[in-house]
Amino acid sequence: MCHYDVQTELVDHMANDIEQIWLEYPKITFEEARDKSFKKFGVFGFMDVIEAKQKQMDKRYWKLLLRFAKEWFTLPKVITTLLIFLAVFFLMQIPFVEIAIVSVLLILVVFEMIAVYKIRKEHKAKEKTEEKIFLLEAMIGTTKNSFTGFTFINLFNFINLTKFDFSGLNVYWLVLIALTVTVLVIFFYVVTMYCLKKLKN
Amino acid sequence: MGNQKLYKGSLQTIILKLLASNTKMYGYEITQKVKELTKGELKITEGALYPALHKLEADGLLDVEVAKVGNRLRKYYKLTENGTRETASKLEEMQEFLKTMQHLVNPKFGLE
Repeated sequence: MCHYDVQTELVDHMANDIEQIWLEYPKITFEEARDKSFKKFGVFGFMDVIEAKQKQMDKRYWKLLLRFAKEWFTLPKVITTLLIFLAVFFLMQIPFVEIAIVSVLLILVVFEMIAVYKIRKEHKAKEKTEEKIFLLEAMIGTTKNSFTGFTFINLFNFINLTKFDFSGLNVYWLVLIALTVTVLVIFFYVVTMYCLKKLKN
Repeated sequence: MGNQKLYKGSLQTIILKLLASNTKMYGYEITQKVKELTKGELKITEGALYPALHKLEADGLLDVEVAKVGNRLRKYYKLTENGTRETASKLEEMQEFLKTMQHLVNPKFGLE
């Protein structure tokens, strides 16, 4: 178990219980009292508690994302969205832009790898110093890592391997691609910056 | 000990009611209080209590407050405004349920 918030609560609970058990049976050792207390959690031990907690955190996490999605459609942000969309849309119509896209993606992948590496290192350092790792924080970290790494590398491969030519596409496809990219950019922003910022409050 | 299955569906109501009359409590305190109030008849199991507490917290009915007690961190739960409202309606539901059960288990025949 590595989630500080759940951990402290259960530690406090067991400590109370052990003290109580000791009042009743003053002669047993700490280990015996501890085992006695732990047995009360049932055959699955702490698993039930952790699993339930995980479920609620999932819920909270999605609520957070949903709230953001709603916020996104307020005025200043809608303009940003539109600008991203238009930029992507027009950029795709420049000939040979795929070379530029591939290079931008490559740079992003490199940055992403550095970021992931840094987060891992931080996480390890935290584990070493036994600093708090909260359940919600851990979840945001994993979603982000799996999502961004996956997307960037796949996009890169897709464009690179198929020698994709955007200028040959008709306008509907361009709109569709531009929309997808816009959504991806926003989502990327949400899962990285926004959630962590909100979390710190 | 009575039939624990009968209590199971009432766990949330019990927790809410206790918090309504005690402002703030921590998990262990709740188990002890229930034991005391029911004279050992009802024992809330740890494996059920914490998930229930966390669920109520996630639903916005409970607020958490962490306090340092000795060298331990203790997590206190208390009702939010929403929680207070929900407690009232849950208790009403419970009363309704008890009445219905009374009718079922112990029907009174007669002319009124």
